[in-house]
Amino acid sequence: MEQQTNNRGFGFYLKTAILIFLAGFIVLVLSGNYTWFSKSTPIMVLDDMDDQFKVKPQVKSTFFNDGRSGRYPVEHTVSRNGSAYPLDKPDFEKADSLVGSNPLDLSTTSTRQYVLSRGKNRFEAFCTPCHNYDGQGNGSVVARGFQNPPNLRDEVTKAKSDAHLYHIISAGQNIMNGYGDKIQSNDRWAIVAYIREMQKLGVKP
Amino acid sequence: MFTKELDKKLKRAFTMGGGTVVVLALVLIFGQNNKVTDVGYRPDQPIPFSHKLHANEDTISHNGVKMKGLGIKCMYCHAQAEVSAHSPVPTTSTCMNCHVLPMKLENERGNPGPLELIRTSYEKNKPIEWVRIHKLPDYAHFNHSRHIRAQLDCKSCHGPVETMGVISQYKPLSMGWCLDCHRNPEQFAVPARPISGIYAYDYENRSQIDKFIGVRANSYDASATIKLAAMKPVVQPSYGMVETADLPKPVVEGMLVPKHAQYGPENCSSCHH
Repeated sequence: MEQQTNNRGFGFYLKTAILIFLAGFIVLVLSGNYTWFSKSTPIMVLDDMDDQFKVKPQVKSTFFNDGRSGRYPVEHTVSRNGSAYPLDKPDFEKADSLVGSNPLDLSTTSTRQYVLSRGKNRFEAFCTPCHNYDGQGNGSVVARGFQNPPNLRDEVTKAKSDAHLYHIISAGQNIMNGYGDKIQSNDRWAIVAYIREMQKLGVKP
Repeated sequence: MFTKELDKKLKRAFTMGGGTVVVLALVLIFGQNNKVTDVGYRPDQPIPFSHKLHANEDTISHNGVKMKGLGIKCMYCHAQAEVSAHSPVPTTSTCMNCHVLPMKLENERGNPGPLELIRTSYEKNKPIEWVRIHKLPDYAHFNHSRHIRAQLDCKSCHGPVETMGVISQYKPLSMGWCLDCHRNPEQFAVPARPISGIYAYDYENRSQIDKFIGVRANSYDASATIKLAAMKPVVQPSYGMVETADLPKPVVEGMLVPKHAQYGPENCSSCHH
């Protein structure tokens, strides 16, 4: 039989092209190609109760003028379950009488290990960008032009009391900001214990 | 037998039927498949923040320049994820912990660039309006702290954020996808990595802490899987809280205790309460 190739018109090629495109599209999408990005918000086919009319964390408020859904507490109110660190940066002298000594139990081996492992974890999460993993400064942020912090293992820091170190973590010192809102109170004490443990190693160049 | 009229009607019927089938198939494929729902949502943020630059600790390429990543842990900015259900986008004051001073790159190019926006936001006490990407329906109650205390890495749900120059959704966050991992955590979940700063206290090796004082923790084994504490079935009441067996008792009063990884609950009211 003779092949009839002449009667294939423009429509045939268009249909074939569309079919190939669709097939390729479906195969690519089904293969989970994660490099396809979209700036448009995901489509909601049935928006049943996905977006409920309530205040959610960090969502813009349409009720208040400043647009904050999280409100500041009314002046002179006291929180029932949380406690903000009361002192400011320069008041480190008051810290000794206010916060006292480390309340965590470091006497037995198991609790000491536990406190130190927690302190190590918190130290690495919050302090290493500047103080580095060994506590001697020159962290990754310092390499980008930030002020180099004091060596945590030298005699100056060693001479400071536990309460003073706790105060510095909570309220900050010099250019360092306080981390009282980020690190829980007991975790700050764990960091102090971990710094003390590092100081036993002495300064190493 | 076929009149011209009937022929026309049949043709139309077949076209419409075929069209309906195709549309249905597309809806089923795109609507039901885990891999394609919401994945790849990458909106423009008010500030072109790069997780790759901030979170990666290896050498990266940022705007075409090779440099070393900062290696800041996820927990530094998203600290409250450990204690709260919602993992907040960091406040401007978190950015200002470091960006209060001009960085080397700013000095090199001679202007603060997008960092100007952070500093004005801080001065005017006006929050930056980041665009939310990862969103569950309001009737699904996801709790970050619970998953982090089970030592699941952020990567399990958010993908390799430390490689993303612009943040995007990596996993579908659909119910089927949640349940996949709840049923087979050892297959899907990523155990906590040092890069996340998630507290994963190894109860078996308590003596290790002495060896690693002042030394960088980098003992993450990429081939590690989630260790399930006990292979016994978890006691599951029909609704309410799941009673788990063999949880470690708090060693120090008032301090956070990581939980042993367990199977995730499968009852409806665990998430839809």
